[in-house]
Order: sequence, then C-alpha cells, then structure tokens
Amino acid sequence: MSEELSTDATTVTNSTSTTSAVTSVASSEHPQKSELMAIAIGVAGWLVPGLGHGLQKMWGRAVGCFLTIAVLVLLGVGMRGNVFSSEGGDAFGMLGYVADLGTGSFYFAARALETEGSDVAHAEGDYGTRFLAAAGVLNLLAALHAYEAARGRKA
Amino acid sequence: MIAAIGFELTHFQSMTLFALLISIAFGFLSRRRTSDRVKYIMWSLFLFLLIGVGIGWAMYPFSR
Repeated sequence: MSEELSTDATTVTNSTSTTSAVTSVASSEHPQKSELMAIAIGVAGWLVPGLGHGLQKMWGRAVGCFLTIAVLVLLGVGMRGNVFSSEGGDAFGMLGYVADLGTGSFYFAARALETEGSDVAHAEGDYGTRFLAAAGVLNLLAALHAYEAARGRKA
Repeated sequence: MIAAIGFELTHFQSMTLFALLISIAFGFLSRRRTSDRVKYIMWSLFLFLLIGVGIGWAMYPFSR
C-alpha cells in the first residue's frame, strides 16, 4: 500500500515536472512566434502604408497613415520633386534614397508616376522633394509604431 | 502623369499643406480618442505654422 502511494507520488512529481518543462518550452517558443509576427507586421506596414495597423484592426490609424502618406507622395510627385535612385552617388543622394524608399511600394508608384522627371530648379520641385522624403520617414515611423504595438509595448 | 498636371503652390501653401498632413499623421499615431486626436492635430498644426512663420520672419533681414 505504502509502496503504491510512493509510486503514485513519484508519478505525480514526474508529471508535474514534465508539465512545467512543457510550459517553459511553450513560453520560450511563444515570445519567438510573437516576435516574428511583430516583425512581419512591421515589414507589412513598411511595404504598404497603414497595413501594419490594419492587420491589428487599428482601422483609424491604418486609414490615417495610408491617406496622409499617399497624399504626401502624390503632392511630391505632382510638384516634380526628386525621387532619388540608388545611383545617387553622394551621401545626400543616398540619404534621400533611403528616405524615399521608406514609403515602401509607394516609392515605385512615385517613380512610375513621375514621367517627366524632377524639376528642383523651382521652389515647387524643392518642396516636392521634401514631401517625398517626409512621406518615407513618416511611413518608417508608422511601421515602427505598428511593430511596437504588435509586441504589446504601446497602442 | 500626375507630374504632367503639376501643382503650383506658394511657399506658404506648401508649408501649410505639409504641416497639416504631418500633424494628421502624428495625431492618428499618438492619440487613440477622436477628441484627443483633433486637439493634438490643431495644436501641432498651430505650432508648425507659428515656428515656420517665426523662422521665416527671423531670416527676413538676411534675405537681401
């Protein structure tokens, strides 16, 4: 009888330790999955402005980001701002390229729409360049915000 | 296509549009409630314009 009890106690102890081991493995896997999901949401938000928030059902922020960035890009192109390419050469050209690339898919739309090239000799073109760069940096900020929200840091 | 249409805006119009769009984006990102967003957007827009006009005014003597 006492032997049976001790066997049962050992089984319970073993099953408890197994459960805690499973729980600890699961808890160590869960953050990795959520981290991967957060990174995917951040990348989605960069590629399509507002998508990172849309995937988290933050519709107001998704629409707000998409519209403001789209209007900034359209105005920038309409004002014949400079859409930098990777063959910029100097440091400022590369910085401009990185900023413009921040708009994700809109960068390629801007390049396709600006058929007549940039005209920075006039004030409009100069403003257009700033509009495009600001749209990119703003989208990077929005993507970072979506990533942080997915990690549960802020919302 | 759009560039062919072209926008001809003055410096002030460009600055105001830029300030408005950035303020809207900041308001949507940093506030959750609609009333808080509106307040934030108005305040941010006001500060953008005030500082922009202020810097322009301060630089005026050096422009000639």
